[in-house]
Amino acid sequence: MTDARPGSTARRHAPNVDGGPDVLLPVPGEPTVSFSVSFGVGSQDDPPGKEGLAWLTGLMLAEAATERHSYDEILAALYPLASAYAVRVDKERTTLTGRTHRDTLDRYVPLFTDAYLRPAFDARDFERLKSDAVNDIENTLRYASDEELAKASLDAFVFRGTRYAHPPQGTVRGLRAVTLDDVREFYRRHFTRGNVTLGIAGGFDEALAERIGRTRDELPPDEAPREPPPIVPAPIERNEVLLIDKPGADASISFGFPIDVARGERDFYALAIACSWLGEHRQQVGRLFQVIREIRGLSYGNYAYIEAFPEGGERRMPPVNVPRRARLFEVWIRTLPNEQAHFAIRAALREIERLVANGMRREDFELTRRFLAKYALHFAETTARRLGYAMDDRFYGLEGEGHLARFRRMMRELTLDDVDGALARHLAGRRFKFAIVSGGAERLRAALAAGAPSPIEYATAKPQHVLDEAQEIARHPLPVDPDAIEVQPVEQAFER
Amino acid sequence: MTGIIPYPAHVEILGNGLKTVVMPMPGNGLVAFWTIVRTGSRDEYEEGRTGFAHFFEHMMFRGTEHYPTERYQRILTEIGADANAYTTDDLTAYHLSLAAEDLETVMELESDRFRNLAYSRRDFETEAGAVYGEYRKSRTDPVFTLYEAVVETAFDVHPYGHTTMGYEADIAAMPGLYDYSREFFARYYRPDNTILFVAGEVDPERVFGEVERWYGGWAPGYVAPPIPPEPEQRGERRVDVDYDGRTLPLVWLAYKVDAFDPGNPRRVAADLLAELAFGETSDAYRRLVLDEQVVESLSAGARWNRDPGLLDVYASVKAPAKVDYVIGVLDDTAARCRAVRPGPDALAALKSRIRYDFLMGFETPDRAAQRVARPLAVCGELSGLEALYAAYADVAPDDVQAAAEAYLRPERRTVGVLRGRR
Repeated sequence: MTDARPGSTARRHAPNVDGGPDVLLPVPGEPTVSFSVSFGVGSQDDPPGKEGLAWLTGLMLAEAATERHSYDEILAALYPLASAYAVRVDKERTTLTGRTHRDTLDRYVPLFTDAYLRPAFDARDFERLKSDAVNDIENTLRYASDEELAKASLDAFVFRGTRYAHPPQGTVRGLRAVTLDDVREFYRRHFTRGNVTLGIAGGFDEALAERIGRTRDELPPDEAPREPPPIVPAPIERNEVLLIDKPGADASISFGFPIDVARGERDFYALAIACSWLGEHRQQVGRLFQVIREIRGLSYGNYAYIEAFPEGGERRMPPVNVPRRARLFEVWIRTLPNEQAHFAIRAALREIERLVANGMRREDFELTRRFLAKYALHFAETTARRLGYAMDDRFYGLEGEGHLARFRRMMRELTLDDVDGALARHLAGRRFKFAIVSGGAERLRAALAAGAPSPIEYATAKPQHVLDEAQEIARHPLPVDPDAIEVQPVEQAFER
Repeated sequence: MTGIIPYPAHVEILGNGLKTVVMPMPGNGLVAFWTIVRTGSRDEYEEGRTGFAHFFEHMMFRGTEHYPTERYQRILTEIGADANAYTTDDLTAYHLSLAAEDLETVMELESDRFRNLAYSRRDFETEAGAVYGEYRKSRTDPVFTLYEAVVETAFDVHPYGHTTMGYEADIAAMPGLYDYSREFFARYYRPDNTILFVAGEVDPERVFGEVERWYGGWAPGYVAPPIPPEPEQRGERRVDVDYDGRTLPLVWLAYKVDAFDPGNPRRVAADLLAELAFGETSDAYRRLVLDEQVVESLSAGARWNRDPGLLDVYASVKAPAKVDYVIGVLDDTAARCRAVRPGPDALAALKSRIRYDFLMGFETPDRAAQRVARPLAVCGELSGLEALYAAYADVAPDDVQAAAEAYLRPERRTVGVLRGRR
């Protein structure tokens, strides 16, 4: 994968010479104002051995004391406003967002701006947040959400050896090694005037916009510009499997490979159509959903993606503030019984391969692009979400026609040939990496290595054509060399 | 408008009992169309039949004679609607967010499936598998596992004793209960047990006309479930759960409270009590989460239920050895709430928070619907929500103390503790 993509150049903007915010989305009459302050720093900037430094630094802004107020004073001051601010630390960016009612701006804005201008780096706050972050990996990620664990493991597997390999929250050892001095220094180096994008939306006035714009000058000065190293995942020459051995668990599966296509490019939108047909997130019409759940009732849902989609179980629409230079084509097969995992993977692969080989059917293409043209309205129903998309547009270098407008235009303009061409360019002949959390890891390893048919039994009677198709699925080629399968005990996931 | 809801609501009731609430509001071209069935896991009073309300949430996507699943899905796809559903203890909501110009199409489709749902035995059995998959997914979550144990312990006879997923054995047995599923539908999926909520850039009169057109022929016939009243709890209960995985120890205190009723000052005050005692600015939060840092998260709330339900206090404890200590602090907090009135400043701050939280919640038609769905289902009308917020404004420190005296008593509670594998 090359690095000459939107995002790599947009990562560090020229400072806004007018002094105002970079992104303004006025909605006159709206009773609330939304804020977004995004820094060009993320978990990829964690120094080796200190994975989690960006995460902790972000939290020390959003959930800790400032020079003016202790954290409990901040909570008490925000409480009557029913407002808060929060941070999203992702691989590329750290974004502080907040929203408040117009009536409460005078009380809210100083608290919000102090969060990124005047963090206190209080030692007690640091202890609390560090312990929460370690727990987030040791307990929550490893044990409370197999689906998120599989997704994070796939990222780690595909991006092994790059700065994208560890999850945004870091690793257990990395977090433990982070000191408060590390956080202070990380803030001073990265949360600087030239590395921030300021955004405001909703019912604000000019004075407030200027006030937010002026906060740029109060940030630490810039050091010499520093570009993050390119994210170049190892080529995938053959299918490779990472099994997370978690006794007692059912199977949760994510698989995919890197794709070299980004927002703004025509192929991106063409692939969005193909991907939506395979499995639009949390929609029932997708082909994978039909084959695996609707017809066979195996798992709760099955979807396909061309961009990162963290917390998929909790959100229906794509996230904002997770723009990335490197992306995967990724399939998510939700939790299902271990004995059906092999079959479900084959079923999904077979659909992808058939799509690539045969192209989309014209009627599916027409239906899907009509669907997406309107469905995209739901991506940003709120002003805060529109602000998020506009901030991401800056990252991808889409300042003119933004991603959402372009998305809807592309749904009108793209042809079936565009889609089939994009499939041929980006998906044809690809091998996959698979991350599977399973309580039957050893048996699954043996089954995958043997490559034997993987018939399933149905609890209920099925029509003959479903049984016939299942015969084909069960025998669908899924070549995996025995030495291309790794088994990792769950206790070791993201330990270092 | 005199109340707190920032947009006027227009209401009409058809002869068959179907109530429609229309709330014109800005929507950026989008409309929320919600069908709220006033049935949830509460109505599953029969032995071996838990989980059916939730199961119906799934079956409702299985089509009718006129609009088989594929055709239904195809039309929804063509109009790019965001459609889904959820089930709770007291209601099942089927919700769509759609472009305003597609409202009539959606009303035709939705009325058809509520009136004419027709699924085969085979589809029914297949969907039961998917529901079991959902249960599998849920049980990896320790919070769900503890919640399941706490409600089962807290209730002896009331169906609030099981989660909306149902008991695992009942979920496993579902594929054999096709005939019962038809009966469940016939009893509860009736216009006189349903409320439509429509918000966005819509004309109420036009919506009412379409409702008459598409839903006018829906036959009433709701059969109210004979739900056994829960006897009064007279002693503290305890449940300890071993979780087969690693987790921070979790503590759940569940106090019995009255049914949701804006006219019951003590119950209204209980909502505020939970926040004042255990919320983000409470003494307990400052002590356990921020100062001593023995608790990672602490939250509390009284559920808005049709029947007497629970006020929950939930804490994730950082160290297994500190579980009893944390319960002790929470006990002391409850005792202090019974003995001492809250300060006027704390109460004023909370009232301000409640007001702004509500105002900021009407951001889009769909968010508005999310806000009103439960109170609509529980009270049967939107005025219940207005009455509740008016009652919040009137709560005095004495009312909060009275609520604590009435509810935060050890003999009314269930203590649940979940511990993970070491």
